[in-house]
Amino acid sequence: MKIYIFKRLIIAGVTLLGMSMLIFVLMRLAPGNITDIIFESAGYVDEADRHRLEAELGIDKPVAVQYMVWLGNFVRGDLGKSYRYELPAWEVIKPRLPVTLELAVLALGFSVLLGVPTGVMSATRRGHPVDYVLRVFSLAGLSMPSFWLGMIVILLLVRSLGWIPSMTYVSPFENLGANLFQFLLPALAVGYRSSALIMRITRSAMLEVLREDYIRTAWAKGQRETQVVWRHAFKNASLPVITLIGIEFAFLIGGLIVTETVFNLPGVARYLVDAIQGRDYPIVQNLAMLIAVVVVTANLIVDLLYTWLDPRIKYGQA
Amino acid sequence: MAINAIEVAVPERHLQERTWRSALWLFVRQNPLGALGGVLMVLLVVAAIFADVLSTHNPVRTSAHVLVPPGSEFWLGTDNLGRDLWSRVVHGSRISLLVGIASTLVGAGVGGLIGLVSGYLGGKVDLIAQRLMDIMQALPILVLALVMAAALGPSLVNTIIAISVVIVPRAARLIRSSVLAIREFVYIESARAIGVSHQRVAFRHILPNTIGPFIVLVTAQLGGAILGEAALSYLGLGVPEPYPSWGRMLSIAAAEYAQKAPWLVIFPGLAISLAVFGTNLLGDALRDKLDPRLRGSS
Amino acid sequence: MIRFRPLWPLAAVMALIAVPLLPLAATSQAPKPGGVLVTSPLSATPSLSPHEESTIATVQQASPCFNNLVYYDPTKKQESVDTIIPELAEKWSWQDGHRNLVFLLRRDVKWHDGKPFTSADVKYTFDMVRAAPDAKGRLKVNPRKLWYENIEAIEAPDPYTVVFRLKKPQPALLPMLASGYSPVYPAHVPLAEFKNKCIGTGPFKLKENKPGEYVEYVKNPDYFVKGRPYLDGIKFVIIRDRSTQIAAVQSGQLDVAGSGWNRTNAEDAKKGAPKLVVMEADSNVNDNVLINFKKAPFSDRRVRRAIDLALDRKGYLVGPRQGAATFGGALLPKPAGVWGLPTAEVAKLPGMGDPTKQKAEARKLLAEAGFGPSNPLKFTLSTRALSIYVDTASWMVDQLQQVGIEATLEQIETGVWHPKMTRLEYQVALNLTGVGIDDPDAQLFENYRCGSQRNFSGYCSEEIDRLMVEQSQTLDRAKRLALVNEIDRKLQADGARPILGWGKQHWVAWPHVKGWALHENSIYNVSRRQDVWLDK
Repeated sequence: MKIYIFKRLIIAGVTLLGMSMLIFVLMRLAPGNITDIIFESAGYVDEADRHRLEAELGIDKPVAVQYMVWLGNFVRGDLGKSYRYELPAWEVIKPRLPVTLELAVLALGFSVLLGVPTGVMSATRRGHPVDYVLRVFSLAGLSMPSFWLGMIVILLLVRSLGWIPSMTYVSPFENLGANLFQFLLPALAVGYRSSALIMRITRSAMLEVLREDYIRTAWAKGQRETQVVWRHAFKNASLPVITLIGIEFAFLIGGLIVTETVFNLPGVARYLVDAIQGRDYPIVQNLAMLIAVVVVTANLIVDLLYTWLDPRIKYGQA
Repeated sequence: MAINAIEVAVPERHLQERTWRSALWLFVRQNPLGALGGVLMVLLVVAAIFADVLSTHNPVRTSAHVLVPPGSEFWLGTDNLGRDLWSRVVHGSRISLLVGIASTLVGAGVGGLIGLVSGYLGGKVDLIAQRLMDIMQALPILVLALVMAAALGPSLVNTIIAISVVIVPRAARLIRSSVLAIREFVYIESARAIGVSHQRVAFRHILPNTIGPFIVLVTAQLGGAILGEAALSYLGLGVPEPYPSWGRMLSIAAAEYAQKAPWLVIFPGLAISLAVFGTNLLGDALRDKLDPRLRGSS
Repeated sequence: MIRFRPLWPLAAVMALIAVPLLPLAATSQAPKPGGVLVTSPLSATPSLSPHEESTIATVQQASPCFNNLVYYDPTKKQESVDTIIPELAEKWSWQDGHRNLVFLLRRDVKWHDGKPFTSADVKYTFDMVRAAPDAKGRLKVNPRKLWYENIEAIEAPDPYTVVFRLKKPQPALLPMLASGYSPVYPAHVPLAEFKNKCIGTGPFKLKENKPGEYVEYVKNPDYFVKGRPYLDGIKFVIIRDRSTQIAAVQSGQLDVAGSGWNRTNAEDAKKGAPKLVVMEADSNVNDNVLINFKKAPFSDRRVRRAIDLALDRKGYLVGPRQGAATFGGALLPKPAGVWGLPTAEVAKLPGMGDPTKQKAEARKLLAEAGFGPSNPLKFTLSTRALSIYVDTASWMVDQLQQVGIEATLEQIETGVWHPKMTRLEYQVALNLTGVGIDDPDAQLFENYRCGSQRNFSGYCSEEIDRLMVEQSQTLDRAKRLALVNEIDRKLQADGARPILGWGKQHWVAWPHVKGWALHENSIYNVSRRQDVWLDK
């Protein structure tokens, strides 16, 4: 097992390396660089000044050289400086992390809490009106764009109550109640969709497992329903569910970009878009790596859970 | 593949009277939700095909009638440039359907194949394929789309590529996990033991058994792809103006004029939601029908 | 004729005796000190250094920190050379036939870090922006170097006197120095610090700047204008989504909002919160069509005119501009503007007449140029990927279609927009131009002179260049206006840069906000906000 984990960690490292190259090359394929952006806000371009700036920032060198420089610094823990703010990259990223993390965790927690039980319930009551109601409810969540839901929620709130959640970020350490209040609606708007996905996959996986022989045996042996459903069936149905949760966590980041904009939350997801548009390479590079680390870790955990949940899968082959 | 599966799914006692009508009726009776989904999908397809007939105005023609509420002249009202919303919504179905179907087929096809091969063969192939999938998955869709939009300019093809890239690892992972579970089943082991070739095992025995999850995935992703297009267009990265796309319609006018002209927010959003709702309902129903392993359990 | 400017009363006195034109400022109540005002700027600012940027977002968020030598009186709606008031300069005078501009500085001014303000700071700042060979500072990006190219030398004979020596007479120098883009920087603070911080002499001191989130100021207790600012603080919260901005002001989270809004946005906000006060004014921001003179077939005057004629200005008014815009030539028309063409002439400009007739004429011109139904004119219409641009460009695609032109819309990512325009990498484009000060020198040289970096259409006419220099040196205002009108007429006849129209600005504020001034012929020179107060 230890060797297996070690192997997986090495592989995760290779994944991250590949990822960093991809982002690095893609960003540099896009036309324009930070000097264009600096001149953009000035409303004109002076080519001589621009080349001087490029040299100053070292982005006139070949991409391979730039990449090695970046990698070298990254390994030494130096994330570089934001081109736009001329501040250390980490200083710019750090305060935005908790915002996105809180939103993602709340949304995911909400979606699991809502998605798993309804999925199980829907599968065990297949064909029953409860099944239909739950499925329609969850499908509705899957069908509505979360940004649209956010727009509608804000529109309704301001029209009926003349009130909307705070547009400036409130730290949970400052005022936990206000903070949760502020995050509640965006988390619901994002989480509703994920919960629908989780509910569906739970339902479909449960349906498959419930017709397996060993479950029929368990029923036949007269075991209590909750025990059959949760201990036997759900444990085996949870494989695809966990895969999905792992994937969803990564995908949430994408959904958050729009939601963070609608609710004006200063998170990393929205900031990443700014940084890409602003060609702020160090920020894009480091943020993308950060997201990649989260995703790779999530996948690693999912893989490890696989082996735990399904002993039929052997370490060496996974 | 899908046609064969339907034939398998139809119970034998109906063989003699197996006409389209009765099969359809059976489907509707057994699956009212699926039927509703089917109706929504048919509406979507009809709207896309006959958009020119169904629309009452030229969808890009501007006029002095700006922000007119829904009424007899403009069924769903007009936007801030005086364009007829009904005609724009109808035409918008083309973009949604095109991007949805194209990106799902590309993504699920490529991803499914990778998942099948990597799950079945295991070993180094699996390792490399899974790392590739990790990298693809770790790349947030919008980052990719943004960079692509920057590099190549926002366009229909780029939108399709960006969305299918998201679907590939999802399809690969899901199919792989099904394959991993199925591979260990006794009948596969026996097939291998009596000397059936890898290809044959993979395509004759394992592939059909992954169809259930695959169909769920494809339909869920079709809806997801339509939503993805909407989100990308909402951020201004999808299909360029003035050609109508639902997501784009929500971004430009709706955001700004939401209070004065709520119809600009409501109708395009409703169109997206109904289209996705339809694919999801139909997908669920088809899944129940198509998955041979679920036969008899309803 | 402005040969010698008499002594000016102090800004404080001016503010008290001036007759306010805006409904908000029209109360005769005595201003109450205190309170923090929260508003939303156009967007996040790339830095707090106005000399290095060209966006209103920077001016809005940096102006409270700084002072100019002279500034435009916030209470006078129309900016002109007559509404310039003293700030760091107590008095000034033109000498030697508008060749020397002498400023006498205040002696009681301190920078926010406590260091005294002197003439060395002024010399440092303007040597830097004009990129003098011996300048002590060097701007990385210098968008307004052109404004100051007529300066020969800046002298500081003593700590409280500054002399600007000009190569040729240029009455427009004083208005340029009064612009929100011309604050005085401290010589002792490294330039790079203005990326995120701000040391100025202004009414507000920077409290906190969270890039992309908010910029917060507190009152400067040592401000040299006694009794100012009224506010204890001012906070600029960045809200990207327009509908979220509207909701935020309705719910009371913002006291005032409206940067970049159109009429419908303001009406929307008021509909939801009827107590809100709506303010409308001209803005001197125009929508203009860039037609690339360096690319065929746009070098053909008939093609340019056909495009100009096809764009029905009344349709532009109701659609893209939601019923709030004015029309004119190259300079903001009267009554809001000082230098525009006479109204009767404006009504005869291309696109202003009967749309059916104009479109028929456009088709005829296109046919003459060799384009018709079998051989339609096709081009890419580029615009910036911002809704305010894209809306207008979508409207244009449809208008052009109606004369048989097949235009495809291309949205250019906002960050590479100006670089693309500077390099003339487009065929036809829709652009927005905000005019820093309503003065022909500031606008004409930048946008129409041969080879200027911001002459995005590549237009070049020796005659126009000569006339531009001539008007710049003309001291008689009536003569100068006649020259400017002549230039404008020629530019319109050439289709140099067809102007669709000038948008208006629309703000909403809660009734307790007092003294939130707007200027009708520029949005850039009214953001000091030292006279704003809250009636709470």
